[in-house]
Amino acid sequence: MKRRTFLAGIAGTAACAHRPRLNVYNWSDYVAPDTISNFEREFGVAVRYGTYEGSAEMLAKVMSGNSGWDVIFPAAEFVPPMIELGLFAPLRHEKLGNLGALEAEFQRPRWDPGLQFTVPYMHGTTGIVFQKKLALTSWAGLWDARLSGKMTMLDDPLEVFAACLKKIGDSVNTGDPGQLRAAGQQAMTQKKLLRAYLNAEVRDQLVAGDVAVAQAWAVTAGQAIAAAPDKLAYAFPAEGFARYADNIAILRESSRADLAHDFINYLLRPEVAAKIVQATQTATANAEAWKLLPPAVRENPVLYPPAELLRRGEWFEPQTTASQKLRDRLWTEVKSSA
Amino acid sequence: MLVTLVVPSAIICVYSVLTRGAYGGVERPFTFENFARMFDPLYGLIILRSFWIAGVATALCLVLGFPLALFIARAGARKNLFLALVILPFWTSFLIRIYAWMFLLRDTGLINTVLLGLHVVREPLPMLYNDGAVILGLVYGFLPFTVLPLYATLERLDKNLLEAAADLGSKPWDTLWRVTIPLSAPGIRAGAILVFVPCLGTYLTSDLLGGSKTILIGNLVQNQFTASRDWPFGAAASLALMAVAMGLLFAARRRGEELL
Amino acid sequence: MRKGLALYAVAAYAFLHLPLLILAVFSFNVSKFTQWQGFSLAWYRAAFTDRELLESAGNSLIIAAGATAIATIIGTLAAYALWKRASPWLAGAMYLSLVTPEIVTGVSLLALFQWSFRFLHLRLGMHTVILAHVAFCVAYVAVVVMARLRTFDPVLEEAALDLGATEFGAFRSVTLAYLAPAIAAAAMLAFTVSIDDYVITSLVAGVDSQTLPMVIYGLARRGVNPMLNAVSTVVVVGLGILVMISERLRSA
Repeated sequence: MKRRTFLAGIAGTAACAHRPRLNVYNWSDYVAPDTISNFEREFGVAVRYGTYEGSAEMLAKVMSGNSGWDVIFPAAEFVPPMIELGLFAPLRHEKLGNLGALEAEFQRPRWDPGLQFTVPYMHGTTGIVFQKKLALTSWAGLWDARLSGKMTMLDDPLEVFAACLKKIGDSVNTGDPGQLRAAGQQAMTQKKLLRAYLNAEVRDQLVAGDVAVAQAWAVTAGQAIAAAPDKLAYAFPAEGFARYADNIAILRESSRADLAHDFINYLLRPEVAAKIVQATQTATANAEAWKLLPPAVRENPVLYPPAELLRRGEWFEPQTTASQKLRDRLWTEVKSSA
Repeated sequence: MLVTLVVPSAIICVYSVLTRGAYGGVERPFTFENFARMFDPLYGLIILRSFWIAGVATALCLVLGFPLALFIARAGARKNLFLALVILPFWTSFLIRIYAWMFLLRDTGLINTVLLGLHVVREPLPMLYNDGAVILGLVYGFLPFTVLPLYATLERLDKNLLEAAADLGSKPWDTLWRVTIPLSAPGIRAGAILVFVPCLGTYLTSDLLGGSKTILIGNLVQNQFTASRDWPFGAAASLALMAVAMGLLFAARRRGEELL
Repeated sequence: MRKGLALYAVAAYAFLHLPLLILAVFSFNVSKFTQWQGFSLAWYRAAFTDRELLESAGNSLIIAAGATAIATIIGTLAAYALWKRASPWLAGAMYLSLVTPEIVTGVSLLALFQWSFRFLHLRLGMHTVILAHVAFCVAYVAVVVMARLRTFDPVLEEAALDLGATEFGAFRSVTLAYLAPAIAAAAMLAFTVSIDDYVITSLVAGVDSQTLPMVIYGLARRGVNPMLNAVSTVVVVGLGILVMISERLRSA
């Protein structure tokens, strides 16, 4: 059995060389197991599907302007600066018939009101995953010395500072140097108690019990809780939290814009989006897809919290250059501190 | 070969005096700010830390490697077999060997499972994601780098000198301290350099075993060239690291001596 | 003291080999956790049917083969040149290349490539990875060949010239023949170094050049995965065999 599959795999990879190709760069664990292969089969193409763990990683690869990727999935807060840098190709809406399936909120998002360059994909919140017996409810709980060595934060300056800022009562989008420095101090104090800075990689460690508390995206939380429902729980921190949304975009450097549009339209199909949601435990921006979900998923409190709860969440806004510089500097300092 | 060494170094030099763009990328103005930044006490801490960890790892490698090299040098007919047994793990994927230690040291890893099972401890010991784990990984990875040069030196040691010492009434332990070790100085020097410099610039070990919390120079440079997108600063740090490597290399050379 | 040394040696060898052996043992474990729950080849099956893993392994082999071929040629010539005319610059460059931390080499090469792309309209890909691997493999090849050259008597080459051979002919039939086992060993060494490289490759790889170490790193970052144990065992055994062949050739 395994030998046949092995040979088939080799043959398949060889055959791929002759079909048109699309290079897609996405977050890890963000599609269903058959999403890509179904697309390949239907459109007769070969997809090279690469994954990354952090926005910074993706941006670093893509910024050179000749990375080789066609379709990427930038987070909402990265969209305005990337538009400014001219990294995206304009979208042709006539090729995206399924755009109407999106939720009203995501038809005119604040980071790209006319959906000129991006199409919202999945969204969520950033909160805390914890072992049920610990009963955490706020960011302050992650500064608890008793949990030293068993906590992680996201390896993402925006998210870490957002948690720190919320803890001291400021907005996640502040550009005030005083507030930012105070947040930096908080992060440095916390670092001594942390086990590591991990993004989605923390999921398996949460399930295994190596990590007791983690700052995590709702999608990671959903996957972890699905794997260990009696052990883990998710909290929307009382002080406030950040909301995120990942979008699909086509890189300007891409020479396969038509095929890329087909891919985006394919992802917008309600059945496809619904399958992805069930496989990856994420919240979709696609209203038609949401209608297709089974009640258990539709009412999952981690993915689809009640509206009043969501109101405590803040979207990230683009930062001024000065603020961005200070944040970068502070992040390097935090990462470099003892 | 000179081309692949000189040209990239030249480019790094140029980048190190440029400034970072708003989101990354390199731009004018030319500045020495990046080098000045290296003297910031914050980075001084990283540098000290890197030296400390590299130093401890090197010392451990030397101390642990010497008896092993001595054993092999005196092993007679099966020398090559023993030598091969040392080299074998070394050449089989550095990355995998680090992963092996992750597997062992985790809270739910093998060592903790055994300790908990034997009721030696009540809670799992936090053995991963700290300096100790990094040093352990480094020693495990670089031990052969000290064994080989030490063995080479010890093997060429003139047995007559050892016999002479014994004839003069020296006990084996004394002979070791006063004759063997001083005479193996070239091997010790070679081993130290071969371990210290790569340890100083280590990236993988501190990344995987240190939980991306232990920032050493290697991680700093890597970070600047990827996530932080601050190529000029990364270039300055990288040059500093190169300078240290070259400095140590020159300092340890003696005339007419081959390192390998 | 003899016995003490022997005991110590046993402990040292255990330290060196046990972690990998344990990794291998647990690759046959049915369960994901570190309690033995039964023998199974399931993880190996998973590893061999993972498309990304297979593709990256293929890439690694192609890159290693290409880089080894080129580096062996350049390295042998460099060692020969060094042997004929002891240039301190060349020797210095060689040692520096060996001792420079990988991250510095990787970062310099990345800067070089990105800078040259402004004029060459290329992008990062298999070719950049192969070039980068050649850059750091050459030194390894040169060192191994040099070691063998030191035991070579230049008189033999002169004799060939006296007997009417051309310079190249002398080199080919006398020196090269003598060096053959060392060159083979050096090639194997370059191959293993290239297959294992992560740091430099991850910096200069492009869209289509995902290598096995890169996939392993990604898996290792996410925590323990028995499939990774299986992959590790396969790689270790494969490389181990290669290394043993190489050592046999070197002492031939």
